[in-house]
Amino acid sequence: MPSPPEAPYFAASALNKHFGGIAAVADFSADLQRGEIVGLIGPNGSGKTTTINLVTGALKPDGGAIMLDGRNIAGQPAYRFARAGVGRTFQVPRLFRRMTVIENLMVPALTAARTSHRQAEDRAREILAFVRFEHLAHAYARTLSGGQQKLLELGRALMLRPSLLLLDEPFAGVHPRLLEQIVEHIRTLNAGGYTIVLVDHNLDAVRSVVRRTLVMARGRKIADGPSEVVLQDPEVIRAYTGTRKAMEGRA
Amino acid sequence: MGRRFKRSHVLQGLLLLLALAVPAVAGPYWIHVGALAWYYAVLAASWALLAGYAGQFSFAHVAFAALGGYGSALLTLRLGLPLALAIPLTVLIAMVLGALMGALVLRLSGPYLALFTLAIAEIFRLMLIAEEDVTRGSLGLQVPGLFSGGGDVPYYYLGLALVVLALMAMNGLLATRIGFFLRAIREDEGAAQASGVNTTLHKIIVFVATSAIASIAGIYYGHFVGILSPNMVIIPEMGLVIAMAVIGGIESLPGAVVGAVVVYALSEILRDYGEWRFVLLGLALILVQRFAQNGLFLFIERYLDRRTAPVSATPITEEGEYAKPS
Repeated sequence: MPSPPEAPYFAASALNKHFGGIAAVADFSADLQRGEIVGLIGPNGSGKTTTINLVTGALKPDGGAIMLDGRNIAGQPAYRFARAGVGRTFQVPRLFRRMTVIENLMVPALTAARTSHRQAEDRAREILAFVRFEHLAHAYARTLSGGQQKLLELGRALMLRPSLLLLDEPFAGVHPRLLEQIVEHIRTLNAGGYTIVLVDHNLDAVRSVVRRTLVMARGRKIADGPSEVVLQDPEVIRAYTGTRKAMEGRA
Repeated sequence: MGRRFKRSHVLQGLLLLLALAVPAVAGPYWIHVGALAWYYAVLAASWALLAGYAGQFSFAHVAFAALGGYGSALLTLRLGLPLALAIPLTVLIAMVLGALMGALVLRLSGPYLALFTLAIAEIFRLMLIAEEDVTRGSLGLQVPGLFSGGGDVPYYYLGLALVVLALMAMNGLLATRIGFFLRAIREDEGAAQASGVNTTLHKIIVFVATSAIASIAGIYYGHFVGILSPNMVIIPEMGLVIAMAVIGGIESLPGAVVGAVVVYALSEILRDYGEWRFVLLGLALILVQRFAQNGLFLFIERYLDRRTAPVSATPITEEGEYAKPS
């Protein structure tokens, strides 16, 4: 008898979120295996960021379950999601602007009661080395360039030692050279076992790192599968930015 | 960082020595003014923690001072409790109510928080007026003194001790991870939550801590001045505390103390000018906001730094220059 398939590591099922009369996310379900990296794409207003907000606890779903390692954490406050190992970045970086780079990194580490200042700082230095920011340790976060802010935000999320990392538009508005660096970082992290969800408009960049792509439109998931298959799906082409040409040009 | 830290301590030490020496050289009038200034200093510093560090712009801070003053006085006068019991009980009540207010304003920020707390303060003031049988309303409540004899000097030193203790307690709190989290919450609450910070808990902690300190300031004030009136809670009083914190440096606790002393002393020196002195203070507030946004204390510290330290000793500035990798 074949052994039963391994239960998904992360599972969102039947998530719903309404704002007034508008269904921002409707009946959204998705499973992730440990160590998987997936893209989440969709036109503006399709519900991608709301979905991220739901699965990180920033918003409470009206209905549905969010299973992390077999435990339903839906409805819990965002900080509990973070402590359970769900790390995220924001579309527009949300740093602690009047704190230094290293202080920004130390905040998540210090939320673990057993971590001392010294340990938090040591871990922050590791992350600084990873994002190559050693020389910026004592710069105020608000003085960083847009791309540097995205990298610092990534670093801050890594401080949680997240088992699931959700990156909301990590490539948007980033200088091409820094973009390569971010893509490289994401690859390295995934190779190191991080489970990653990547939300972005930059299809080329997304496709260069993920195999599986989820597509959302009008709050619903309309496709889920290998990127090359999904991106040829007529429904996806119809939904995505409404321009067939744009898709074909990129595919 | 370390260098500035030390310099700040030296400056604070010198200011403390100066404050200790005042009664030896000043007349009774200025000792009285000084003792009153300590009340405002404790309030301004604790408000700086609440607003400057944690970003909670509460207008109910003076209401907690009044709660302290009235609480301690009423528990002794009406219930006959000994002072040694009335004071901790009052502080405890302030902490509970502080927690309650912190919980009530959890979802409010910026102008909404300010308006909400302003309304709370007004309600409290009106209650003090309305409950005439208990509080004696606008007539004022007579409060027994703490010391027999010695004039204002013992109060001056008690007030100074309270300032030092309050600063030590608050700096102690800020040196823990709580200080980190409060700053993170001030900067971006959503990002703090996404980083694992229990923002609810920490906002309540800062309200509890600052409400307790404000109530202690009020207890001191009541026993020193000898009469309490609902005017402790009027909006201009809160405005004065805010002006003190902002002029001294809203993100610096010793800065707020310096601001309180400077503003209160100025308002006494300029007493002959009547209401015009407040116009002058308003002008001072505008100038500080324009030219020394982080307050006078940091401004003076920076000035001393520039005078004594080579530029290279300060690799980072607020303006965002940072040392190049070597």
